[in-house]
Amino acid sequence: MSALFSQNPLMNGPNYSFSDTPVSHPNEAHGELREHRFNPYTDNGGSTLAIAGADFAIVAGDTRLTSGYSIHTRYSPKVFKIGGTTADQKDATIVLSVVGFAADGTALRERLDAACKMYRYRHGKPMSVNAAAKRLSTMLYQKRFFPYYVYAILAGLDEEGKGAVYSYDPVGSYEREMCRAGGAAASLIMPFLDNQVNFKNQHIPGSGEGHAIQEREKKPLLREQVEILVKDAFDGAVERHIEVGDGLQMMVITSQGVEEHYLPLKKD
Amino acid sequence: MFMARSEYDRGINTFSPEGRLFQVEYSLEAIKLGSTAIGVATSSGVILGVEKRVTSTLIETSSVEKIVEIDRHIGCAMSGLQADARSMVEHARVECQSHAFNFNEKLRVESCTQAICDLALRFGESADGEERIMSRPFGVALLIAGVDEDGPQLYHAEPSGTFYRYDAKAIGSGSEGAQAELQNEYHKSLTIEDAETLVLKTLKQVMEEKLDSKNVQLASVTKERGFRIYTDEEMAEVVARLPAN
Repeated sequence: MSALFSQNPLMNGPNYSFSDTPVSHPNEAHGELREHRFNPYTDNGGSTLAIAGADFAIVAGDTRLTSGYSIHTRYSPKVFKIGGTTADQKDATIVLSVVGFAADGTALRERLDAACKMYRYRHGKPMSVNAAAKRLSTMLYQKRFFPYYVYAILAGLDEEGKGAVYSYDPVGSYEREMCRAGGAAASLIMPFLDNQVNFKNQHIPGSGEGHAIQEREKKPLLREQVEILVKDAFDGAVERHIEVGDGLQMMVITSQGVEEHYLPLKKD
Repeated sequence: MFMARSEYDRGINTFSPEGRLFQVEYSLEAIKLGSTAIGVATSSGVILGVEKRVTSTLIETSSVEKIVEIDRHIGCAMSGLQADARSMVEHARVECQSHAFNFNEKLRVESCTQAICDLALRFGESADGEERIMSRPFGVALLIAGVDEDGPQLYHAEPSGTFYRYDAKAIGSGSEGAQAELQNEYHKSLTIEDAETLVLKTLKQVMEEKLDSKNVQLASVTKERGFRIYTDEEMAEVVARLPAN
């Protein structure tokens, strides 16, 4: 199990979903005990990130899907529009990103989208991000003892039109934040965002020594700045993590709707 | 062949040749035996009022409970078989809590009313997947008052499972006279205080007993204070405000 949560793939095999223990065991013939295992999860790599602005939110993810050292595909999106009224989700206002085990991610996305649809039928209005965020949390916790192996991030605009980003652990703990990175390169991207979005460790020059040092004033970033941050974060992650690369998918949520962008990343 | 209502009113889920469900129609009659309940919606809140039939001087009037809370923002008044209302209210309460748990927001008043009406036709033999909970239709009608993002609203839910939104509605034994009175007196610019007086004035006209602060009950649902049943002092204050005659 430890390999599941580590940053790097196993060095000794292709990381299949199902057990790679030998089919026959040398001691089996002598009537000794044989160990059976059930390994329903794979880590499909990849990374996601989301940043909230004053009147927008951006969710991005790379499009590489791996298992161990193999790349299964160079284009498998991790970022999805949720809760639209049409099959192409062109009027959607909420975006979900999922990273971890791709099959669980797909299942979760379909479940949340169905929940949004049912909500619209039952209550005659679209689901707010706040409501969708809570629903996603209960959905994940319902599978507390056989979890969806995914790190989800949900984003949209709140009731006041401000950018909202909600991040989750696989069993549904969630929190609204200004920014969050998820997946394989989360540990590489998150410190960068802490510094660049929340201005952590940024001080006003000459403001004093020790406790007198003043932090740089926090204010939401502009959309142009955030787009540059996202690209830089992924360019950095691609250099340092083998499971991240190929393409960058970026969804920008504004009061006008959701714009989708695709940019190439290094394929090595 | 058959006398109009002789055979087809036995089967709970059997249509008559004219296409009627007699048991459901009879259940609507049960409400007309109940005490009068009135709801009036204004732009700042909804007022519910009921007459408590105090059949004996030995009855503790506070134990007659005809207005109940469903959630902090929804309440309801009932007329008909009180006991039937209990399972409907219980269902509505669960629905409100489950919505708050799943979506971190209040259930809309219309959705709550719909949830209550979903129960209405679950009688007789059970359909697949639907749990049968009643052997006969409900014998109670509800006035459901609440406030949500669309403002104050009043709904009337019947045992037939249909519901409508009203500005002002009366149910129960005095409903015909009361509804006519509401029709004349209602206007869009009523204040909460106007609505309190209108409800009591209308109840007074249709009640057999002489109205006092013990044999009627008022409740309000407002954006600011949510659902609230009036205290004895507040009741006395409103009753005192009524024009004497």
